[in-house]
Order: sequence, then structure tokens, then C-alpha cells
Amino acid sequence: MLKNLINKEIREIIQSTKFVISFSVCSLLIILTFYVGAKSYHVNKSQFDSAAAENLRGMEGVTDWRMIDHNISLPPFPLAFLVSGISNDIGRNIKMSGYGELTAKDSKYNEDLIYAAFRFLDLDFIFQVILSLFAVLLAYNSVNGEKELGTLRLIFSNSVPRDKYILAKILGSFLAVALPLLIPFLIGMLLLILLNVPFTSTDWLKLLLIISTGFLFFGSFITLSVFVSTLTKKSSNSFLFLLVTWILFVLVIPRASILLAASAVEVPSVDKLNFQKNVFANQLSEEHVNALKSFKSSGAGDVIEEFQKYMAEKNATREEKMNAFSKQLEEERNNRQNAQQDLSFTIARVSPAASFSFAVSNLAGTSLELIKNYRDQAKNYQKVFADFQIDKTGSTTTSGMVMVVRKTGGDVKTINPSELPKFNFTQPDLSNVLSASIIDIGLLAFFNILFFAGSFVTFLKYDLR
Amino acid sequence: MFWILVQKELKTIIQSPKFVTTFLTCSILILLSVYVGIQDYKISLNKYAAAQSLVKNEMEAASTWLELENKIYRKPNPLQIFSAGINNDLGRFSLISQSHDIKLESSSYSEDPIFAFFRYLDFTFIVTIVLSLFAILFTYDSVNGEKESGTLKLVFSNSIPRSTFLGAKFFGSWLGLITPISIPILISILFLLLFNISLTSSQWITLILYIITSFGYFTFFIALGIMFSSFTKTSSSSFLISLVVWISFVFIIPRIGTMLAGQFVDIPSLAEIESMKDSFSKAKLNEQFEKIEQLQLKRENEMQGFSESEKEIYKEENEWEWMKEESAITKEMQDASVQYSNKLNEEVRNKKNKMERLALALSRFSPASSFQLASMNMIQTDIDLKNRAEDNLKEYKNSFVDFITKKQNKNGSGPGGIRVSLSSLTGVQVEDKRGKDKLDFTELPVFTEPELSLANIIQPAVMDIGLIAIYIFISFGISFAAFLKFDLR
Repeated sequence: MLKNLINKEIREIIQSTKFVISFSVCSLLIILTFYVGAKSYHVNKSQFDSAAAENLRGMEGVTDWRMIDHNISLPPFPLAFLVSGISNDIGRNIKMSGYGELTAKDSKYNEDLIYAAFRFLDLDFIFQVILSLFAVLLAYNSVNGEKELGTLRLIFSNSVPRDKYILAKILGSFLAVALPLLIPFLIGMLLLILLNVPFTSTDWLKLLLIISTGFLFFGSFITLSVFVSTLTKKSSNSFLFLLVTWILFVLVIPRASILLAASAVEVPSVDKLNFQKNVFANQLSEEHVNALKSFKSSGAGDVIEEFQKYMAEKNATREEKMNAFSKQLEEERNNRQNAQQDLSFTIARVSPAASFSFAVSNLAGTSLELIKNYRDQAKNYQKVFADFQIDKTGSTTTSGMVMVVRKTGGDVKTINPSELPKFNFTQPDLSNVLSASIIDIGLLAFFNILFFAGSFVTFLKYDLR
Repeated sequence: MFWILVQKELKTIIQSPKFVTTFLTCSILILLSVYVGIQDYKISLNKYAAAQSLVKNEMEAASTWLELENKIYRKPNPLQIFSAGINNDLGRFSLISQSHDIKLESSSYSEDPIFAFFRYLDFTFIVTIVLSLFAILFTYDSVNGEKESGTLKLVFSNSIPRSTFLGAKFFGSWLGLITPISIPILISILFLLLFNISLTSSQWITLILYIITSFGYFTFFIALGIMFSSFTKTSSSSFLISLVVWISFVFIIPRIGTMLAGQFVDIPSLAEIESMKDSFSKAKLNEQFEKIEQLQLKRENEMQGFSESEKEIYKEENEWEWMKEESAITKEMQDASVQYSNKLNEEVRNKKNKMERLALALSRFSPASSFQLASMNMIQTDIDLKNRAEDNLKEYKNSFVDFITKKQNKNGSGPGGIRVSLSSLTGVQVEDKRGKDKLDFTELPVFTEPELSLANIIQPAVMDIGLIAIYIFISFGISFAAFLKFDLR
């Protein structure tokens, strides 16, 4: 019986004009997203490579490893082009030196403002905005529409249990869209392979998880629509109600939650932080110069060497003080930011659309965690780089002065830029992203169950006439 | 007759159950967005003021003119309350100093990425997405819906020209939707006064023009709904078509336009450009060192055979000349670096402009992008803001650097700073030559953002406003033509 009902539901949906149109629009968009994503990945990758090559080329002819201008940047990774998250908003380039603070500059959007004006097309957007709207469109009248047509009475003139009917409605509407949509997704994945996008097996798994989460989100809008259509008598009412809910869930709640959190938790501005650091740095610099002035040569051995050593020591202590100070300030700001983030995310999770966004950006590695990951890995690299400099030259560049003796004439030994240790950005592994997104995936499942239970309960009491 | 029809149309809209819901949603959203916008603007004003006094403090801590750096922040614009545009994506300040290129850095979104996650809720966003959707919701069945309910036949049993009927439909729905929407808009303008947001007169005019443009955009969607309802038979199909068209206009075409344009024009990334600049100036620095070394070697050769005292005299005689030679070389190399970096910047900017023109041309197939572009242009949170701001800052940098050089020359030409000298007699000596006197900033050039004239503000938006008007005419024309052949039975 259940099978028959599901079959009927699927057939009804697939044969309707609205399905044909919405399915074609979605398929087109999905395929386009994969295609443009793959292309953009290659464009960005080649930009990244030529920037790195240019950076190395600039080091040619330099004679001392402490004199290089060294930049690292966040390499583009394929999943970011399918779920962009905040990957375009954060600074990507870091001027590397063996000491001190690292600041990431130049966000993609700041560089190419045209993208900021219109944003990108990605899977997050397609599921969140387009597919959810289509879910509403396909299921808003699934129960009360049949009542209006009179078919509801006909069905229940057979001995159909109500619970099976409502289950069939939901499963049928879901499968009718989800199954056909697998085709454009498969085509999209094929495009990734054809266009030589380097996907690791973890990436594939993550992508599959992203798509499954998308369907889970889609399911929550199907169950919601069926629920609302059992609550209302007229299909025009349920549509209106669902449309307003859609606007709230997708467009308003996520944005409003962050604004609310921002007014509840204040985060000190970066300007203020920088100022405090500058004041402290000036103070330290004063002390440093005084310390240098009091240098007295012991008279034995090479004076320059001795002075270098003395200076390096002083630099190190100054360094330590500065780092401790900055770290404390940064930590305070980070804590504030985290509190703000937690609050806004909690409020936003009222909407399944926000949960979905959080889940997929975590899975793709483009959530707010990306900033932290990049910062941590850059800091680790800084240590590697400093060690490398010390290994090569005996000291690293510091906030103080370095005396580099320029030899003239004769054989000047230049550095070999290819010896420079490479910065590799590693993606968080599957278990990490899963544990980060599990709450939101769980919430989406919860929304499904909640709306399903709601429609179940109301339909048991539904007036079939 | 026309007015009776208009009245009827008004009544149907206002008495329909969807009216209350949509009107309430729109009002709440509009008021919320403007309120939030005002708070946000106030916060950014405070931030701006704080940042400026911090910069002042930082500058006062400098002890030599040579190491003086200025930071210029972009001033918040009160109209950003209505249309944030790219304001949060664009860097907030640029460093002004002799050795730095002008570059706006640290965008609000990169500093507080949590806001970037879901972007911004502003008036333009609500008009573009929510109001347009509601316009369609009220008009998709305006003609074929009457046919379905049988009232169309009744109306035309009177002697009414079809054109009058359609005109009344259009005008009636327009009035029925625009009037209620005007209420929250008027209240939000009251908000501006209430919260003491001061606007200049040209900003008021811009705001009014901007609101009129929003109405224009809204009108287009009313015309679009009527158009589809007059060339389809059933209201369900006209609804479906309008919804798909709405999705394409609002969400798809703008994005695809820019993404496609990005595929066609290859622009080197900022990182690459910066590296190229670095390598070039490094090469020039090396050249500078080598040339100066050669000069020094040449001088040594000239002095060969001189006794120590003769050398001293010779050196003293020529010192001024030599210094001039050396600084000429330094200047030559520096100029070459600046020229090179300007050339690169120019090239990138040209390529970017080309790409942007293409992207905009593609995305303008959608009235939604035209509207967004028009509003960003009017409110000055448009894509070109970066170029305008950087050009202004460049001019300021020139006067700033001139000022510093003058001061520097007046206060003696030494580089100041800390000097470590090495001599076989005294060993290592560290001298702190930084002056202990405070620098006098009274004559320091102050950056003032040049105010654009109203004509300059409106001019870039004219094309998009015109496009919206054309879109309205086209959709109205089509609905007119379709309705003349409409089967009334």
C-alpha cells in the first residue's frame, strides 16, 4: 500500500509542469556551479602558482637569507569553489618573517570588488535559496490541495491508514526531487574529473557529505511544507505562510542573529588593538636603544661578532615581551569574538537554513575555522622558517637591527631560493570536519523529525471533507 | 470607468488575506534594516573617530619626520544605511608614507568575518529580493485569475476598451502596492531625523532619487506579473513562470554574469603584482649599491698617490659634489621603482576595468543587477569606490611626502634614527640621533575627501535607471500587446 501511494506521489510530481521547470533550472545551476567552480579553481591555482614563482624569482641574487622578502598565501583548494563560505572574505597573503606577528591581508573580495557586489554561485546558495524554494513550491499544497480537488476523499474511500498516507506524501515528494537531482550532481562530479580538478579521496567523501546534508536540508523544507499544508485549509494560505517562513528562515534569521549578537557582545576594534601594540612597541624600542648604547666591548675577539651577539640577545628579550603583550591582547579579542560567534550561531540555528550553511561550510573547510587553521599553520611555518634562517645564517630576522655585511667584488655567494622550506596548507581531516558539523547535521535531522511528527499529528485530526 | 476599475483593483488588493501578511513582513523588514543600518553607521562613525585620534597619537610618538607615517581611514557615509554595497568588503584605510604604495586594506569583513558569513541586511537587499517577490505575488493572476473566476467576462460585458482595462489594472495594482510600502519608508526616513543622522542637501536629493529608483524597480515586477498573467491561460502557470523568471533575475543572472566574465579576462593576482614590484625594487637597490660602489672606487683611484693630508683636503673639496652624485643615483633608482609599480598598477587596473565592464554588461540583462548597480552608484558604495578613494589618497600622499621632505631638509639632512658606527679605535658606538623634540604638526596637510557634485553622483547611475525604465516599458508593452489578443472567455 505504502509503495503504491509513494509511486502515485512520485508520478504526480514528476508529470507536473512545475517539476519539469524547477528540475531543469536546478540541474542547469548545479552543473554550472561545478563547471564554473572547476574553472575558477584552475584560474586561481595558476594565479597562486605564478605569484609563488614570482616571489621565489625575487629572491634570486640575494646573498643573505635574512634579506629576503618572503610571502606566503592561502592556496586555493577545490572544495572552496563549491562551497565558498568565508574563503573570499579573509586575508590570504602573509608577509613572512622569522619573528613577530603575522597578519593576513588582501581578501579576494577586497581585491575584486565586482565579486563582492554579486557574490558567487555555489552549492550552499543553490540548496539554501533555490532548492528550498522549490521544495515549498512542490509541497505547499500536498494535502490541502488534494482536499480542494476532492481527491482526498476518493483516496480515503479505500481503506488507507492515515499514517501511511502522510508518510507516503513526504517520502514521495522527497524522492521525486532527490532522485532526479542525483543526475546533475553526478554530471557535476564527472566534470570535476574531466576538468582535472585534484580531488583527494577525503575531498570526495566531504563532497558526498555536503550533498547528503543538502538533501537533508531539502527534506526539512519538504516536511515543513507538508506540515503547513496539513495545518491550513486552503492551499493559497499555506503557500503564503510558507513563503513568509522561507523569507524568514533563509534571508532574515541568519542575518538578524548576527546583528543581535553583535549588539549583545562587544568586540574591541582592530584599530584599538593595533594602537595599544604600537604604544607598547615604542616603549620597548626606547628601552632597546638604551640597552644597545650601554654595549661595551670586552676587547677580545671580533667586535662585530660580539656586538651582533649582544644585539641578538637584546632582540630576543624585546621580542619575547612584545609577543607576550600581543598574545594577551589577541586572546582577549579572540575570546570576545568567540563569545559573539557562539551567541549568534545559537540564535541563527532556529533556522534550518543557517544550520545547513554552518554544516556545509564546516565540511568544505570554509567556515570561520578556516581563519584559525590558516593562522595556526602560518605560525607553525614561521618557526620552520626561523629555524631555517638560523640554520643558514646563524640568526633570524628580528624586530631589532641586523647587520648584514655587504661584500664587494670577488665571489659573492647568492642564496638558492629553491632551498626555502615550502608552506603547505593542510585541510582538516574528515573526523575533524565531521565533529565540527555534527551538531548542525543533527539539528537538520531534528527539524525533519519535528516537522514530520507535526504533520503526522495534525493529519490524524485532519478534516478530510 | 477607468477610476472605477482602479478602485476595484485597489479594493481587491487591500482586502486580500495576503495583503496583511506581506505588508506586515515588508514593514518589519524595512524598519528593521534601516534601524540596524543606523546603529551600524553610528558604530562605524565612532570607530572612525577613535581611529583618527589613534592615528594622531601614533604620529605624535614619531620623533623624526622621516619615520612619520599617516593612516587615512575612509569616512563612513550616512547613506550606507540604505545600501551597504561593497562598503564592508573594501579596505578601511591606507597607510600614507614615503615607502608605501597606496592600498586600502583591512576590510570590515576580513576583520570580523562573522558578519561576512551571512552578509548584510539592508534596504537595497529587501527591495531587490523581498519586495520584487511580493510584487509578483500580487500580480501573477491579475488577468488570467479574473478569467478563471469568471469576472473577466462580466467586466467586458460593459463597453470598456481593453486598453483602459489593462491600464486600470496596472495603475490600480501599482497604487495598491506602492502606497502601503511608502508608509514604512517614510517612517524610516523619520528614523534618520530621530537618530540625528545628518545628511547634506545633495545627500537628501540622492536619497529621494534612490527611493524613486526602488519604486521603479518594484514597478517593473508589477508589470512583469501582469505581463505573464496576460499571455498565459492559467494562473498557476503564470505563477510558475514569474517565479522562475524572478529567481533568474534576482539570484542567477547577476552571479553568472560576473563569474563568466572572470573566466574570459585573465587578471594577475595582487600577490603576484606585489612580488613583481618587490623584485624590481630590490634589483634597483642592488644597482644603486653597485653604481655607488663604482663611484667610490673611481674616487679612490683618483686619489691614488695622494698623501693622507692631501686626501683629506681633496675629500673636503669634493664632498658636496659626491653627495649630490650619490643622491642623484638613489633618486634615479627610486623613481624607476615608482614608475614600474605605477605601470603595473595601471595595467592591472585596465585589465580589471575590462573584466568589470564585461561582467556588468552581462549582469545587466537582469533588472535586479541594474537596480543594485544604480543604488550602489548613487549611494557611493559602488565598485569604483576603490579607484576613487585610492586616487584621492594618492594625491594626498604627494602633498604629504612633499611636506615631510621639506621639513626633513629644514631640520638637517641626516637620516636621524639610530646609527651604529664601528671604528677600530672606539669599537662599536650606538648613537640615537632621533630628536627628542616633538614634531610640529600644525602645517601638516590634512586629508579632505573631495565632495562629488550631485551631477557626478547621478551620472553613473543614469544608465541603470534608464535600463529599468526600458524594462518597465518592454514588459508593459508586451502585456498590452498580449492582452489585445487575449481570449476573454
